[in-house]
Amino acid sequence: MNTNHEEWKQLVSAYIDDELSSTDKDTLHNHLVDCPACQKYLKELQSLSQNVSALNNQTLSPDLEQRLNNLNSRTERSPMNKTSLWKVTKTVVPVVVIAVLIALTMQIYVKRGIQGRMRSAADDIGNQYSANNGNRSSLVALGTAQQKVNKNGSITWKDTASTTQPSSQVFKGDESRSRKRAANKLFNASEVTETQRGQDPVALKEKYWGANSGQIQDGAVEEGYLRRENDQRGGFMAPQYPYAPVQVQESNTEQYDLITENDFHDVTDDPLSTFSIDVDTASYANVRRMLNSNQFPPPDSVRIEEMINYFKYNYSQPGWNQPFSINLEHGLCPWNTSHQIVLIGLQGKNLTEQQTPPSNLVFLIDVSGSMNDANKLPLLKESLKMMVAQLRPEERISMVVYAGNAGVVLDSTPGYNKGLIMNAIDNLQAGGSTAGGQGIHLAYNIARKNFINNGNNRVILATDGDFNVGVSSDSELVRIIEEQRQSGIFLTVLGFGTGNLQDGKMEKLADKGNGNYFYIDSLDEGKKVLVDELGSTILTIAKDVKIQVEFNPQAVKAYRLIGYENRKLANKDFNDDKKDAGEMGAGHTVTALYEIVPAGSWENAGGNVDPLKYQKQTEKKSFWGNSDEMMTVKLRYKEPKSETSQLLTKVLKNPAGIGGSGWFGSSDNIQFASAVAEFGMLLRNSSYTANSSYQAVIQRAQNSAYNDQYGYKNEFIGLVQKAASLDNRARPQVPVYQQQVPVYQQYEQPQGYQQK
Amino acid sequence: MPALEGIFTRYKKPVFNFAYRFLANRAEAEDVASDVFLAVVSGRYHHSPQAKFSTWLFTVTRNSCISRIRSGKKIFSIWFKTEQGENQHMDIADESMPGPDNALLKEEQSVFLEKALARLPLGQREAIILKEFQNMRYEEIATVLNCTLANVKILIFRGRENLRRELKTSGLGEEMQ
Repeated sequence: MNTNHEEWKQLVSAYIDDELSSTDKDTLHNHLVDCPACQKYLKELQSLSQNVSALNNQTLSPDLEQRLNNLNSRTERSPMNKTSLWKVTKTVVPVVVIAVLIALTMQIYVKRGIQGRMRSAADDIGNQYSANNGNRSSLVALGTAQQKVNKNGSITWKDTASTTQPSSQVFKGDESRSRKRAANKLFNASEVTETQRGQDPVALKEKYWGANSGQIQDGAVEEGYLRRENDQRGGFMAPQYPYAPVQVQESNTEQYDLITENDFHDVTDDPLSTFSIDVDTASYANVRRMLNSNQFPPPDSVRIEEMINYFKYNYSQPGWNQPFSINLEHGLCPWNTSHQIVLIGLQGKNLTEQQTPPSNLVFLIDVSGSMNDANKLPLLKESLKMMVAQLRPEERISMVVYAGNAGVVLDSTPGYNKGLIMNAIDNLQAGGSTAGGQGIHLAYNIARKNFINNGNNRVILATDGDFNVGVSSDSELVRIIEEQRQSGIFLTVLGFGTGNLQDGKMEKLADKGNGNYFYIDSLDEGKKVLVDELGSTILTIAKDVKIQVEFNPQAVKAYRLIGYENRKLANKDFNDDKKDAGEMGAGHTVTALYEIVPAGSWENAGGNVDPLKYQKQTEKKSFWGNSDEMMTVKLRYKEPKSETSQLLTKVLKNPAGIGGSGWFGSSDNIQFASAVAEFGMLLRNSSYTANSSYQAVIQRAQNSAYNDQYGYKNEFIGLVQKAASLDNRARPQVPVYQQQVPVYQQYEQPQGYQQK
Repeated sequence: MPALEGIFTRYKKPVFNFAYRFLANRAEAEDVASDVFLAVVSGRYHHSPQAKFSTWLFTVTRNSCISRIRSGKKIFSIWFKTEQGENQHMDIADESMPGPDNALLKEEQSVFLEKALARLPLGQREAIILKEFQNMRYEEIATVLNCTLANVKILIFRGRENLRRELKTSGLGEEMQ
């Protein structure tokens, strides 16, 4: 029997697959009846077969899903082009090889980099808003994607820490159980020590997973999925979680730079305030996107100046020989009536089409898989089409894409060949996941090749946060951008989508490239940016525009610049032409607000500082006179092609009897701008909100929402209402000295100030 | 050829799982899967109408896997393996697990099985995968593997035998009822 046992076994194997002929089956049945060994074997095989088929359970990674979806949708839309597909597949293989090589070489860097970042994120949590507030705001926003991830994250954490839930902890087969126990012990031990060191468990969690703190950056995303590096304590590797079928896409890695709000400065100590203008509007669009998805924006995503500058104001047009006009207005501070507000508004010259120099635009477009969402690449395509429709014949446009591979999809094409351009736009597809490519070099090379003298030569980077443009480090990227800026090719950044937005970095890059950063959340915004403001977005009329304000201590005791936190300059930078500053496009308006404590106020706005011990505090400085002036605004700018700056100055006279005229006497400009500023302060939970309220914002905005050509101002009112309903934070305590403020101060005697 | 949409939804998981078990490397399996569907949509390989579509599809998948192994990409997959293959085991957690102690056992079993499967000789592995994952008939498997029916029978039998033996020696086989 033993000799043909092997044969019986074979029959059993085929039997469970139902592949036996009926005669064989009968023979086997007969045999099974009196062979317990074979019965047992049959059972074992059946169970084995079951267990093996249970391994057929691998879910597709979101990345792969996306790749397949792309393939699928591509065929639906256009008939397949065999040759181009061949090309694609042919390039896929080397690119994968290159990516793997890069991954190999970057392995160490990634490990260190990631751990470092996670650590600093964990450290920062205590004093910084970003990560924590992400959590907080997501609590507010019920049912948002972010919250799902939070939940997810915490569940994951529990799994890791507890010994009773080993479902995802898997180690090497045979000795796995004993090792697992040892490992858990180890892990728990290390956790305890961490906790004992006084770290917040949340921070600790962030440190390991960094999921919510948004610290996983480009380098970490390899082949489209997050490989979370673990601490290797005592040789133990915490289990690496493969993506559950859940939402890697939805994990939120948006990054916002910390914004430290500007303080009040005492005019006697610090009479000069210097900053660079900022015409970006991205922050407002981003805030709008978050509010519209019922999410309360994290404070650092709110840049008040960008919110104010989103709107158009009624300023006087500049003289024929000046690129812009300076407008100064003055009114009561609506959220703190013992203060005043000064508005500085710049109006850039509107150029008619004939005056507009021709554009040479190179779009550098991120087509990685993540751009596939409806609010990313498709939105960009629609916006681009609207823009192309307005392109003039002599203008040129080209497109470079990057993802797995950088490639030119449209070489520089003149504006009269709209069909070709439209076609290329139609063919844009998101797909691919790997880092790589020389996108940025390619884009700049094309821009250089087609350089239009006296034209508007610009690279426009459109992305949702992946900067795998062919440069490995941020500083390298910045260096390239700065270098190209010197030679007259500027950079504009368009941000799209959610979840991975690297807001701070985008703004910085655009800033370095003498460009603007826009966040495009809707077709309307795409139209606003690319079509309505084509001239201005794209065309610089003055560069390195800096503003320096000198306050007169006879009229002003202290001042505070609202917003522009990351645009502040040192006073000496104002006259230094080498110092880079913001650019102004045709038709742009730039608005800055100062909150002012008038001279003679009893407030100690400069803070409480002990008298100096070694220096005699000189009695107040003597004045030059000009006691009727409140402040002088100085402005430096360069013509787009020039490297030397020009100076403009304008004086704001001390307004008489402002207290008497009351708030409602102030202009629509100042009412609306201050409403937006107040809204921004509320969102940021500013310490200067005083008596601010959403209601006051709405009321003032309604009073002043005239000249609302595109409906932006009314949309703003809707947003404020939305924010009011989403904001369930405790209102900050109003500082004591502000609570007992008499409604109107005495303004008539500013000169009394220095005789204190 | 069935409608494209249907092909994607129906076969993306099987194709990926086949490639994944075949190559024992997720990244490569993903690439293979997307290559295969690229081939499908581009009509790069001719699909003769008398052959069953699934058979054809898995033939393409298998060939794609083999050429991937041949093209020397193994060097890199070795790296990936040491990096994650040893420590990373995919989500095998079975929702229908009876209880905690059984769950642990079951999990260890399937992890072990997974590894044992990956250690099988190629021919046996692919035959087993096609049989157990796709529940193909031996004839179809023979078409995919381009061999005789008897051969398939033997491959599957040897594969099972090997797996059984490995489980037995590991001590896990006993509990496997």
